Amino acid sequence: MEQLTFNHSSERAVKARLARTLAGAWVHSLTALTFVLLLAGVALLANALSLGWFLCGLSALPAMVVAWYTGELKPLRLVAAAKTIDDVLAGDILSQLPADPSPRDIATAVGASQSGFFFSARFGVTPTLLQNSASDDKSQTAAIWQDAWKLREQTGQDTISGGLLIAALMQRTPEHEMLLARLHLQTSDLLKGAAWQQHILELIEKHSKPKRTGGIARDWSFGYIPTLTRFGQNISEQIARGGLLAVDLESHTEALQQMIKTFTSSGRQNIALVGSQGSGKTSIVHAFASELLDASSSLPDTLKFRQVFVLDASSLLAAASGRGELEKLIMEVLGEAYAAKNIIVCLESAELFFEEGVGSVDLTNVLLPLLEAGRLRVILTMDEQKYLSIGARNSALVNALNRISIGPASEAETIAVMQDQLISLEFRHRVTYTYQSLQEAYRLSERYVHDLVQPGRAMKLLESAASYAENELVTMNSVQQAIEKTLGVKVAVASGEAERETLLNLEDLIHKRMVNQTRAVEVVSDALRRARAGVRNEARPIGTFLFLGPTGVGKTELSKALGDVYFGGEDRLIRLDLNEFVRQEDVARLIADGAKDSTSLTSRVMKQPFSVVLFDEIEKAHPAVLTTLLQLLDEGILRDEKNREVSFRDAIIIATSNAGAERIREYIERGYKLEQFEKSFVDELISSNQFRPEFLNRFDEIVIFRPLEKPELLQVVDLILAGINKTLASQKITVEVADDAKSYLVEKGYDPRLGARPLRRVIQRTVENTVAKQMLAGSVTPGSTVKVSLEEVTKLLGSEAQANTIAAGEPSQTTLS
Amino acid sequence: MVMILWGMMTWWYTDGWRQCLERATLRLEATLDTFSIGLLLSTLFSPFRQISAGNVRGSFDAQMRAFVDRTISRFIGMMVRLVMIVVGCVVIVCNVVFGLLFVLGWALVPVLPIVGLLLFLIGWVPWSS
Repeated sequence: MEQLTFNHSSERAVKARLARTLAGAWVHSLTALTFVLLLAGVALLANALSLGWFLCGLSALPAMVVAWYTGELKPLRLVAAAKTIDDVLAGDILSQLPADPSPRDIATAVGASQSGFFFSARFGVTPTLLQNSASDDKSQTAAIWQDAWKLREQTGQDTISGGLLIAALMQRTPEHEMLLARLHLQTSDLLKGAAWQQHILELIEKHSKPKRTGGIARDWSFGYIPTLTRFGQNISEQIARGGLLAVDLESHTEALQQMIKTFTSSGRQNIALVGSQGSGKTSIVHAFASELLDASSSLPDTLKFRQVFVLDASSLLAAASGRGELEKLIMEVLGEAYAAKNIIVCLESAELFFEEGVGSVDLTNVLLPLLEAGRLRVILTMDEQKYLSIGARNSALVNALNRISIGPASEAETIAVMQDQLISLEFRHRVTYTYQSLQEAYRLSERYVHDLVQPGRAMKLLESAASYAENELVTMNSVQQAIEKTLGVKVAVASGEAERETLLNLEDLIHKRMVNQTRAVEVVSDALRRARAGVRNEARPIGTFLFLGPTGVGKTELSKALGDVYFGGEDRLIRLDLNEFVRQEDVARLIADGAKDSTSLTSRVMKQPFSVVLFDEIEKAHPAVLTTLLQLLDEGILRDEKNREVSFRDAIIIATSNAGAERIREYIERGYKLEQFEKSFVDELISSNQFRPEFLNRFDEIVIFRPLEKPELLQVVDLILAGINKTLASQKITVEVADDAKSYLVEKGYDPRLGARPLRRVIQRTVENTVAKQMLAGSVTPGSTVKVSLEEVTKLLGSEAQANTIAAGEPSQTTLS
Repeated sequence: MVMILWGMMTWWYTDGWRQCLERATLRLEATLDTFSIGLLLSTLFSPFRQISAGNVRGSFDAQMRAFVDRTISRFIGMMVRLVMIVVGCVVIVCNVVFGLLFVLGWALVPVLPIVGLLLFLIGWVPWSS
């Protein structure tokens, strides 16, 4: 490519500068001068003074300048066969450039242009940032022009807009990757921004052109529709007034063409738009109504200017008291629509008319003959699942409909829809959305919004983010807050001092609740830290762990501790005992729809994605259940029975198993350390067919819990006593157990097979009973301390046999009197 | 200054004049759309804002009543449409005339200061005694 030059003295550049000079005060003054001269001239002429002619004639001069400014200088057309940069540069930038601009001069000009304001507000690329990142080295200017020219060709734009120049300037900034990363942007985003701005300008131009909608006589030949007007909403009228904005999407164009084809054919004049909620069915109806109103379109006369009425099911139901009355009313409304000859009736959420339920009534008997006859033009919008269930009940209905499927929008389409809808969204909420907020809304809605599909799900999140705007600006952070506040998930990278402290001291905090098992605590803590620092794989759960070991060694306790310390409470633990999932049919219970079974795994995680999910006694689950969990462990996704993706990507998955507990004890008793037998132990589990290798491979870590020894159990006694004291704190009573009594409790409560569990029972029976009895006897008052001595413990536990009974958790045979 | 004047005058008689013609055409198109004479003519004898349409089934009386209703509706429709066609034609003609004057007048605007100066110098005011 030849070296591109910038001609500061070109005709276009001169005009651009003149336009800049005239803009604002000058143009207003010249307009005022025109009227003053004209009025003064007329007044003088009225008084028979010939000077009036001169003033009237003179008024033509400022009028001509204003006309020139409006017609040529302000829009400043491009040069047809562009050769130099000034031939295609946006006028407001061209007007501000000096004769020999440096990159910084370009940045300054861009920052003060319309594009500069756009990128500052939408992308956070402020004029100051642009100026600071650009150099003063004029030798680099040619390269920037070259880049901008290439980007113009690459994006198919006619003008070198501010957006393209910003991208070109950024490319030439040495640390541009870092700069853009700080703004959560890539160079391609800047180009998308340029296209977005261009699109907005095109939309403004499109809407500023007068619409040709058929004129005043358009509807005179058609019927009078008083009842339909009462129970329906004329969306064609709203579009004609400019109240509804139809979005042009490529995926919608095909559906629109199909609708036009169906309504112009001689077949049944009905269409069922079938798609999941949020897929844009209503938008397609709006776009269709808009297309029909366009007098310049090439539609046949039988379709042009037809009006689309959306029937309001709730108004109809409210107006009719009984079924018979409702059927009569529906017939009246539809009869009116048919008689009018220019009406297309739209039954939005048409399932409301075909099934019994709250807010819905089955009118199949009335509507089916109409649909089968196919003379009245009807559009039905229906949820995919509902369509299938109605079809299963009544195949004649489905056969009578011309189905058009509407799929979810792609990422690019969703962003395009959001960009178009922002115009009304920003007006309603009095906020400005940044580009990053749109991207974040798409990303997070994909992950956390389940009841809609794109673009509806992203739009829903974007709208709710308006409440979290900072200084009327909706940023990425606002979108994250909207998700965090509504779902209780943590999506932003840890930034608060308190959270950072918790993460860095996670092991210590967990050890306040459990004894030893250092390795298990460490791997879980590491996983959480990786997740909150934003360095983990986001397409998987935060961490997946298999805890192996004998019972009562802290496997479940660690999960609870994690839920409490980090996830915000023990209620953040979603626990499933897999010994209740031993049949193949139990898979259905795992993935049941939340509306039917609120305790299913999928529904609980859908409600509370930021949790610890604990699968207890995994070895007892049916193989089909384990197979179902494979995808969950691998991709962090599980599909519920409605085929909705439920994300486990914000959860820690922990599975526990007692499998091989005896072998672990054997290894430990033979003096092996955990690290020494870990691998061979896992191999044994596979070779003994207790677990399949592909299942074990799915876990990030397999952690072996070793049996607790007596000294550790003494620490467990302290933890259990701390728990008891916490319970008694509300009554201002403290319990203290003598050291020799603690040792005695450990002695009596220790069972190598059952770990710390019997110990808990022994302590509860002895200490809690002592306190209870003393409280009832009135010997303990608020503020006092109950001291439990060895004698008391010995007395309470009684014989060896009784201690064993308590430790085993069996009902006591004797009263502790 | 000469370059600016030259630029303005060049635009005035090229793109400026073309834009002036475009504006006049757009105005005329909007008027044509508002009155839709073609639509009015093609539906001249159609019933006006009919309450019912299609074939009426029933007794001879009912059919006769529907026929009379429709005939009256057609007559009203024809009258209203005829009035609208006439009004529309007048507005369209006015639009064309004013549009033409506007386009032709555009060419004369640059000479208005000179004309005004000459008239002032001559001192001609038609209504002066």
